[in-house]
Amino acid sequence: MSTYILMKVLESAPRRYDRGIRILTCGKLDRAYERLAAYIKRGQLVLDLGCGTGALTLMAARRGAHVKGIDVNPQMLEVGRERFQKEGLTEYVELAEMGVAELEAERSASYDVVTSGLCLSELSADELSYTLREVVRILRPGGLLLVADEARPRNILKRVLNGLLRFPLVVITYVITQTTTRSVEDLPGKLRDAGFIVERVRSSWMENFVELIARKSGRSGV
Amino acid sequence: MDGEFCRINCEEKRKERRINLLAYAAVNVFETLLRVVPFPCRTGVIKIGAPDKSSPVFLTGNYHLTVVRVSRALRDIDCYLLVANSRGYNVWCGAAGGHFTDHDVISVLKTSGVESLVTHRDVVLPQLAATGVEAGVIRKKAGWRVIWGPVYARDIPVFITSGFEKTAATRQVDFALGQRVEMACMWAFPFSVIAALATALFWLRIVLPLTVLIWALSSLVFLSFPLYSSWLRPGKGGTAFSKYTVVFDFSRVLIILWSVFILGLIIFYLFADGLGRWSIFRWGLVSFIIVLLLSIDLKGSTPVYKSGLHADIFLTVFLDKERCRGAGFCEQVCPRNCYRVARAKHTATLVGSRRCVQCGACIVQCPFDALYFTGPRGEILSPATIRKFKLNLLGERVAGVGRNSPRRRR
Repeated sequence: MSTYILMKVLESAPRRYDRGIRILTCGKLDRAYERLAAYIKRGQLVLDLGCGTGALTLMAARRGAHVKGIDVNPQMLEVGRERFQKEGLTEYVELAEMGVAELEAERSASYDVVTSGLCLSELSADELSYTLREVVRILRPGGLLLVADEARPRNILKRVLNGLLRFPLVVITYVITQTTTRSVEDLPGKLRDAGFIVERVRSSWMENFVELIARKSGRSGV
Repeated sequence: MDGEFCRINCEEKRKERRINLLAYAAVNVFETLLRVVPFPCRTGVIKIGAPDKSSPVFLTGNYHLTVVRVSRALRDIDCYLLVANSRGYNVWCGAAGGHFTDHDVISVLKTSGVESLVTHRDVVLPQLAATGVEAGVIRKKAGWRVIWGPVYARDIPVFITSGFEKTAATRQVDFALGQRVEMACMWAFPFSVIAALATALFWLRIVLPLTVLIWALSSLVFLSFPLYSSWLRPGKGGTAFSKYTVVFDFSRVLIILWSVFILGLIIFYLFADGLGRWSIFRWGLVSFIIVLLLSIDLKGSTPVYKSGLHADIFLTVFLDKERCRGAGFCEQVCPRNCYRVARAKHTATLVGSRRCVQCGACIVQCPFDALYFTGPRGEILSPATIRKFKLNLLGERVAGVGRNSPRRRR
């Protein structure tokens, strides 16, 4: 029975994902997504990595961009599809079950903007460097990479404090919604290594959350 | 001088091997006791021995104990071992529960750098991943050919020397004594710890007998498995088709366990001094709860016998002779040896459908969609449905069958 109940709870988890994330990030994620989406212009072609239930995808689509959202979790995408149907935005959005390792299939220099909310931190070191290489390839010269993610504080004191404050929040969120997030270390440095020009870094005071605007070198074609 | 050097060298090697063995044993004991918890480990490529551009490539999930065991089984082979992200679950549970998917396999093939290490594009996957990882998709999206390896890593050396061919024995999942002991330990340890912690505060005296009881009962249930396994078949006909009747239908297994419990109670009564009626009732109730929990746990999805937890047991696998071209993937992935493939005649036959545990691996892998499940009223569950829902504990893949079948709706 233990297994049965656990599976039942876990399988209905995608429906509670958004709520879980909201608890875990204390609502700051929505504001971060809005700030990032402000860089997206009408008519642009956007790729949303790890779109999940489509929170960031939705904001991009509302600004009149054509968005392709990819994620490996079909149940999350199902929730996303329902959401876009309700919003009447289906013609602006394409959701595909696809992992970052399958970006090979995307044409070079075909996207104006690539967005990623809480996705890069989910990747292993190998996957992250592969993904950044692929994103450089598929972005148009001058194209933007917009990232919002949990970060690992660089200041050791803040790191300890963050761990202490975060731990109960992680437990509560997991119990209620079976959702959790991970953090990534020195994302700006990794983007620079991949050849991006990091234009803006907005870090929370605790250094546990980071928003990044990075540009692929070259003249924008638009 | 040379001899002296060799002697020291050999001794050091022997010492090193002893330490390795000790560490291996310690990891095995520790992680077996805590097997109910996922133990994720690093994903990526592991080099074993001195592999070159043509060395074989093996792949497994990132459950730490699995990686430790597979690495040990491969220690005399020059090869690469890819560790894919199965979220810290073992291969079977990961694949059957949708945590170990095509995406995870493609990801490690593409991002680990293995493509620059070898010139060939053949990867050996554990057979039990076949319920969740589709060979055709890996081929199409990543350009790698999947070879289904043996069920157990210990059979890999023989698998290689026989030219990557499996025998009926290395395709079959057995539930051998060693595995049953592991299962008993992985069950008894966490439950006895939880029970001890819960009772220690207010009733210290009960902790020891309770712990002994949990260990004894779980050993009894798992060790005596061969004695009652033949009863683990669903009843013939007349079975109500609802998720809940299946969940609460404990069938005959429980009756056997129940009588064992009665027997234990009598033994307890005979040997324990001054045992009142009240304490017999109390211990009876406690052991009944333990047996109940165990028997429900035993009914989960396994590659050994039919699960009693969901309506999948009412499905029958059907082979469409018209579509079958004898590719033989069904034979390669079936953990119950239900298929016989005539390579020369290009046909497969379903020789052991009674043994089928409805894992669906054959249906997922068939390149011609020649296999599908049929429900008790002749409903067809398409290969697409099986691929989408895999082996789902909640029975989502049969959701359409039970609820919407014409006779039920009324």
